[in-house]
Amino acid sequence: MPASLSFQGLILTLQDFWAGKGCVIEQPLDLEVGAGTMHPATFLHVLGPEPWKVAYVQPSRRPADARYGENPFRLGKHYQFQVVLKPSPLEVQEIYLDSLRAIGLDLERHDVRFEEDNWESPTLGAWGVGWQVLLDGMEITQFTYFQQAGGIDLAPIAAEITYGLERLTMFLTRRDSIFDVEWGGGFGYGPIRHQEEYELSKYYFEVADVPLHWSLLESYENEARRCLDADLVVPGYEWTLKCSHVFNTLDARGAVSATERVGVIKRVRDLAVRCAGQYLEARRRLGFPLLPAEEREAALAAFAAFADKTA
Amino acid sequence: MSHSFLFELLLEEIPAWMLPERLRALEQRLAAMLRELTGTDPAPRSIRVGATSRRIWFTLTDLPAGQPDRDEEIKGPSARAAYAADGSPTRALEGFLRKNQASASDLTVRDDYVRLRRQVAGRRIERLLAEEIPAIVEGLHWPKSMRWGRGERAYIRPAHSLVALFDGAVLPMQVLGISAGSSTSGHRILANRKIEVSGPEDYATRLAKARVVVDPEERVERLRALAAELAAEVGGTPAEDEGIWHQWQYLTEWPGLVRSEFDEAFLSIPFEVLVTVMRVHQKQLPIWREGSLTNSFLSVMDQTDDRDGNVAGGNSFVTNARFADARFFHETDRKRPLEDRVPELRRLQFQEKLGNYYDKTERMAAIAAAIRDELGEGDAGAVERAARLAKADLVTEMVKEFTELQGRIGGIYAREEGMPDEIWQAIYDQYLPVNVEGALPRTLGGAIVSIADKLDTLAGLFRIGLRPTGSKDPFALRRAAQGVVQILLNRDPWRLEVPVERLLDIALSAHGIDPVSARATADDLREFLAERVRTLMEHPRYGGYGYDEIAATMESGWAGSLPDLQDRLAAIRDARRSPEFLSILDSARRIRNIAGEESSTAVDPALLEHPAEKRLAEVSALVAEQIGGLVAEGRYHAALESFAGMTAELDTFFDEVLVMVDDEAIRRNRIALLNRVGLAARQIADVTRIVVDRRDYNAR
Repeated sequence: MPASLSFQGLILTLQDFWAGKGCVIEQPLDLEVGAGTMHPATFLHVLGPEPWKVAYVQPSRRPADARYGENPFRLGKHYQFQVVLKPSPLEVQEIYLDSLRAIGLDLERHDVRFEEDNWESPTLGAWGVGWQVLLDGMEITQFTYFQQAGGIDLAPIAAEITYGLERLTMFLTRRDSIFDVEWGGGFGYGPIRHQEEYELSKYYFEVADVPLHWSLLESYENEARRCLDADLVVPGYEWTLKCSHVFNTLDARGAVSATERVGVIKRVRDLAVRCAGQYLEARRRLGFPLLPAEEREAALAAFAAFADKTA
Repeated sequence: MSHSFLFELLLEEIPAWMLPERLRALEQRLAAMLRELTGTDPAPRSIRVGATSRRIWFTLTDLPAGQPDRDEEIKGPSARAAYAADGSPTRALEGFLRKNQASASDLTVRDDYVRLRRQVAGRRIERLLAEEIPAIVEGLHWPKSMRWGRGERAYIRPAHSLVALFDGAVLPMQVLGISAGSSTSGHRILANRKIEVSGPEDYATRLAKARVVVDPEERVERLRALAAELAAEVGGTPAEDEGIWHQWQYLTEWPGLVRSEFDEAFLSIPFEVLVTVMRVHQKQLPIWREGSLTNSFLSVMDQTDDRDGNVAGGNSFVTNARFADARFFHETDRKRPLEDRVPELRRLQFQEKLGNYYDKTERMAAIAAAIRDELGEGDAGAVERAARLAKADLVTEMVKEFTELQGRIGGIYAREEGMPDEIWQAIYDQYLPVNVEGALPRTLGGAIVSIADKLDTLAGLFRIGLRPTGSKDPFALRRAAQGVVQILLNRDPWRLEVPVERLLDIALSAHGIDPVSARATADDLREFLAERVRTLMEHPRYGGYGYDEIAATMESGWAGSLPDLQDRLAAIRDARRSPEFLSILDSARRIRNIAGEESSTAVDPALLEHPAEKRLAEVSALVAEQIGGLVAEGRYHAALESFAGMTAELDTFFDEVLVMVDDEAIRRNRIALLNRVGLAARQIADVTRIVVDRRDYNAR
């Protein structure tokens, strides 16, 4: 057991490990998102024929999970460590297990199991198949083979590995509360983040201005559409993400009825589907630049044949 | 000499719940393959199929060498079309020979047609295996498959290695693009190395050395023994939960168990919540001692040695965390009584056209009250109150988190608020029964609330035209209807016997529609319930009756009382086993054939002429009276025997009396007489619908 492990120690070890496996170390998206999956480095990059390997930390906001800092295991904002390997290598589970060894776990002295847990995001029109990884009974990682994103069937398939950083540190260092974890340099997670958790909880549950958020949703949606109409995929996607966060805030505020929920989810998904389709088209126009030069021609031909078939 | 075959496909972790059904299908397909090859059923135990968390394997032993060679004859063109006048082959014949890759010397002519006769070599077993097995394995139907890597193939999980050994040698084949070899891998963490195997004889032992118990049954046996042992150490017994063994069985390769403790303070949380968290969310097995839940529980692990206590400690940590969440919900929920939450149900939609859950509970209360009035028993106030409170737990934190506890949480909270048993138990049991085998509500009040809920849902969704079609039943209306039938069938300790017509009237009225104008909806609902009655009666738990017995008995009515239907079914089943049943059946059929559509039973004694019909009238009056008495007492079998007692008089009547005479008054009188005779049995069943094989009776 790595007794000296801190929150940032875990991040640094994982970054180092995955950089060693040939990953680009991206940085967090500078927008509010619910999960690392929504970062363009995942959602957009899993589309199309281009290979991709990336790892990054993503602060993830889930207003409905906020607990005023009172619950030792739940946070309105937590940090995910996200890895995407595309195409998924056949030995991806073994590599993942090596990452656990890298953070100091002697796996023979623990119980590691992969239990079925599939993932679906109705707002992104995305789903995947995979497992939750249990370490001594505790879920420490979500492991997903992406099958569809933005309503588009994927090939090659990306493997997505998402570590819950707070839980993992808490578990490895046997703390009873997330707020008791050491962030690094002797600073505690609680003193650093507790006030933020409390204030964000209060805001999401009690204060957020409901009419303002409904109007923001509409404005953001319109702006996303304007961007996509102008074929600006990345800005369009960013406004789509903003819609998603505004919707999550309204939801936490208890301002969305069951019928409205279905409607809003569809609105956001429609945008996400457009982003995905236009992103693929834009990448094609660029000649799929992440592909090795010798594979581009074949990929473009295959893509054209596929587009013909589906048209 | 007999042959053997070993197959193993190594994958990534397969969803445990999917495996049992796929293994059964695999075994059936292998058996079908061998049956087709040999023409006989494979010997018992010659096919063995198994799986672990990440491998599927099977062994075939005592295999025959293959199909015997056989003679084949193919009919060709007619002799006239085959040969020209000079005896040379025509184009037609040449085409025939080419198609069959034969030469003219293989031909004979018989009955004016050319025939090709030749010997065909039977398929060798190894060729058959190599050809058929990849398709069998790749063709297994998985509920949700996935693609990986380049995305070219779809299967339940990515495949890693393939073993296919025929008599110890690799049998070349490919499954999911992987070529067969003779080696596999051991346990992912404890023995992650290549393992060579040579066949069914050493597969299990070689893998056991690499920390894999390949036999699922052996894994369960180990786990069961271990569970009993670990529970006994704390003076308790593991909870009974058949489902958990199947999950644990396929979550592991090298199974072990650890016992952990959770903080005793959490025992103040309702035990249903603790058990649900452990069993459903953590796949753990609680330990009970003298009827109480202990704070010890068992967790499965994919290894046998927890020397540092990491696994026990981790599970304890996680379970405490979950329970801390549950306690938070419990304490938050208890700050407000259930009653206060009822108005919030207005914000929870039930169905777009049927309003919210507040509306639903109002209708449920009306239905429950009407049923109670119909029965004249049960505490009216308590039943209505329970119905109004029944859905309040849907807006508690606990049910939002643990939806499978809906109903039970409401019941527990009502109990904690000090409500009388009659009320909290009715709330607690409102979703019962959950399936055919499931328990029913323990009190009449609970049964009334449960049936009111289901009837409201059924009437509502039928009313707006959302009845189930085909396999689509998003509101689980079939299960609701089945629950209604199960409740109506119950006898002990309570009976809820209200005619189905009346129940449907009550339910439709609660939806504010006049049952008379909604006749078509009521008819649809009655037929929907009748379908559930038929299905349930065929189920072993409810008697396992034959479809003809059910049809015959329901023809004489079912909606008035379901226990009565069940009694009549039992009588029919008894009766059809008795030697006199053929005479009952023949009599009923003759009566039906002659009487046709006539239904009058008004017999005018003055019109009786023939001694045989006078005798039948006399006897049938007596028997009808007797049967009437027996039917009133529910002694249906005796009633049928009594009906059989008229056979002699009926036979004489048919032998000596002509029914279809010209004189209409006499003809009608005779038909009425027969109807009167037939009616005695028709109160129980339309026996003419029973399908019999006469040889069964003659043999006796």
